[in-house]
Amino acid sequence: MDAKFNDERYLTFALGKGRLANKTLEILEKIGITCEEMKDKSSRKLIFVNEELKMKFFLAKGPDVPTYVELGSADVGVVGYDTVLEENRNVYEVLDLGFGKCRMCVCGPESAKELLRHHERIRVASKYPNIAKDYFYNKKHQTVDIIKLNGSVELGPLVSLSDVIVDIVETGSTLKENGLQVLEEVCPLSARMIVNPVSMQMEKARIRDLVLRIREYLDSEKA
Amino acid sequence: MNQRLLHTPEGVRDIYGKEYARKLSIEQKLHSLIAGYGYEDIQTPTFEYFDVFSREIGTIPSKELYKFFDKEGNTLALRPDFTPSMARCAAKYFMEEKHPIRFVYQGNTFINTSNLQGKLKEVTQMGAELINDSSVEADGEIIALIVESLKAVGLKEFQVSIGMVEYFKGLCQEAGLDEETEMDLRACISGKNFFAAQELLMERNVSDPYREILLKVADLFNSMTSFEDAKRLVNNERSLSAIERLEKLDAVLKLYGVEKYVSYDLGMLSKYNYYTGVIFKAYTYGVGNAIITGGRYNTLLSRFGKDAPAVGFAIVIDDLMEALSRQQGPLPDIHEVKAMYYDADKDGDFARALKEAQMLRSNGQKVALLAKVDGEGKE
Repeated sequence: MDAKFNDERYLTFALGKGRLANKTLEILEKIGITCEEMKDKSSRKLIFVNEELKMKFFLAKGPDVPTYVELGSADVGVVGYDTVLEENRNVYEVLDLGFGKCRMCVCGPESAKELLRHHERIRVASKYPNIAKDYFYNKKHQTVDIIKLNGSVELGPLVSLSDVIVDIVETGSTLKENGLQVLEEVCPLSARMIVNPVSMQMEKARIRDLVLRIREYLDSEKA
Repeated sequence: MNQRLLHTPEGVRDIYGKEYARKLSIEQKLHSLIAGYGYEDIQTPTFEYFDVFSREIGTIPSKELYKFFDKEGNTLALRPDFTPSMARCAAKYFMEEKHPIRFVYQGNTFINTSNLQGKLKEVTQMGAELINDSSVEADGEIIALIVESLKAVGLKEFQVSIGMVEYFKGLCQEAGLDEETEMDLRACISGKNFFAAQELLMERNVSDPYREILLKVADLFNSMTSFEDAKRLVNNERSLSAIERLEKLDAVLKLYGVEKYVSYDLGMLSKYNYYTGVIFKAYTYGVGNAIITGGRYNTLLSRFGKDAPAVGFAIVIDDLMEALSRQQGPLPDIHEVKAMYYDADKDGDFARALKEAQMLRSNGQKVALLAKVDGEGKE
C-alpha cells in the first residue's frame, strides 16, 4: 500500500542534547544503527552522517527538538515527554523509549497542601507554563497565576515568589533538602520518539522498519 | 525615518518579482485544470459573521480567528478557510438545486497562530467543492483532481493518503465505546500516539477482542495491508460498507490512472467531526505538513439549512510553492521583458519608440519604455 520512491534521501534525526541523546544512540547501536562520527567527542561538527544507511543526526536543545520535527527539518526526534507536552507541536508520537523515567509534579511546602484543595487563586512557578496551565485549568479547574522561570524552580516557594511549583521530580532529594515535597502528580514522563507527519507518509517504509526494530529491542529488554 | 513603516507584521509578507510571477503561473495552471472539469468560479467575502466559522462548523479553534466588530456590535471574522463559506453559498443560492454543483475558489485565508514558530498567518488557498453528489465517482473525481493538480505544477514525488472515518466509527460502535472514550481515542489515533491509545483502552476497560482490534487501527505500523485484512477484523455493517466504499473508490481511481500516487490509511482520522466519509491529505518533501487536505462532509450544509452531501479539497498555494522551490532549486526567470529605449532629447524619438513598442505589445511581447541615460540603452 505504500508508494515507494527516493532511496537517496537522508533520514534526519534530531536528538535532545545530553543523557537523552547518549541513551538513544545506545539503543540505535543495539539495533545496528551506528554513527561513528558522533563518538568523537572532540569534534565540533553539528551534523553527523552515516553514509551507508543514509542517515543524519544532530543534537539540539530539548525544547527545540519538536520545532525541528514539526517544520520538517528533522524526520524523527527523541525528546522527553515533558517537552512534547509543553511545546504541543503537530508531530506524531510513535514510541515510548522507556528511559529517562520521572514525574511531573506539583511541589511545595507541606502548608501549601491546603491551597490545592479549594479553588483558590494561587501563584505557580514553573519552567513548563503550558503544562502547569493545562493541569490547573483543565484538570483541577483552579484559576492560578503562572510565573515562568528558567531554572532552579524550587526557589519559588522558598523566597515567596510562588505558593507551589510544577516541575520534574526524579528522586525528590533536591525537594527534601529544601523542605519541599511532592503534593500532586501531574503525569509520568519518559523519553519519546516523535515523527514529522509528512515524513511518516513519504518515508513510511523506513520509519516503520526503524520503529518496529526498536520496539522489538525494547520488548526483549523488558522480558 | 519610522522603521515601522518598512516592516510587515509577523506572519504576513510581500510577494513580488520572480516569486510572484511563479505564484501567478501556478495558480493559473491549477485553475485552468480545475475549471476543465466543469468547476465554476466563486468569490466569497474575506470576512463573514463569526458564526459561519464557529466551533460546530469550522476546523480552526475560535481563539485562532481574527475577530472584530461591525458598527452594530456583531462579531465578524476573517475567513480561516473556505469550506464553510462554500456551504453557506450553496445553501443560500442553490437551495432547490438537485443537480451537482461544482465550485472552484481561490483567495487568502487568515489564521492567528502563535508567533515565532515559522508559520504564516495569511496564506493563499485554492480549492474545489463538489456539492449535491454523494457518489463514489464524486470522491474519485476530487482525488483525481488532487493528483492532476500536483502533476500539473511539476511535482513528481508526492503521495495522497486516503482515510475513512466510518470504519473507525463502526468499530467503536461495535465495541460499545461511549462518546467520550471515542473522542479521546480518536485524538490519540489521529496523533499516531499508539501507547496513549493503549493506555486509554486499558483505563476505560475496553474488553479484549476490541482492544486488540482498535489498537490495530491505531498502530500505524500494523500488518493491515489490504482491504481483505481490514474486513476480517470487523463484524459490523458500518465498517464493512466503509471498506466496500474504499474498494469502489480504488476502482474509480484506477480508471483515472492515478492509483500509484494513492495509499490508504484507516488510522487517518480527522480531529474534527466535520468529515463524514473519505478524508485525504497530500504530502510531499520540503514542507512539514500536508499541502492539500480535504474530504467528504455530508452534514455540514444542513447547518445552513440545505440537506446535501459534498466533497472537496483545498491546496495551500504557499506551501506548494515552498515544496516546489525546495525540490527544484532556484526559480527560473520567467520574466521576459524587452526594454525599448528612446532619446528624450531627440525630437520625435519617443513617438518612434512608442510606435514600435505598441506594435510588439500587440504581438504579445512584454515591452517597457525607458528613457536613454548616458552610457545605457544599447540593448
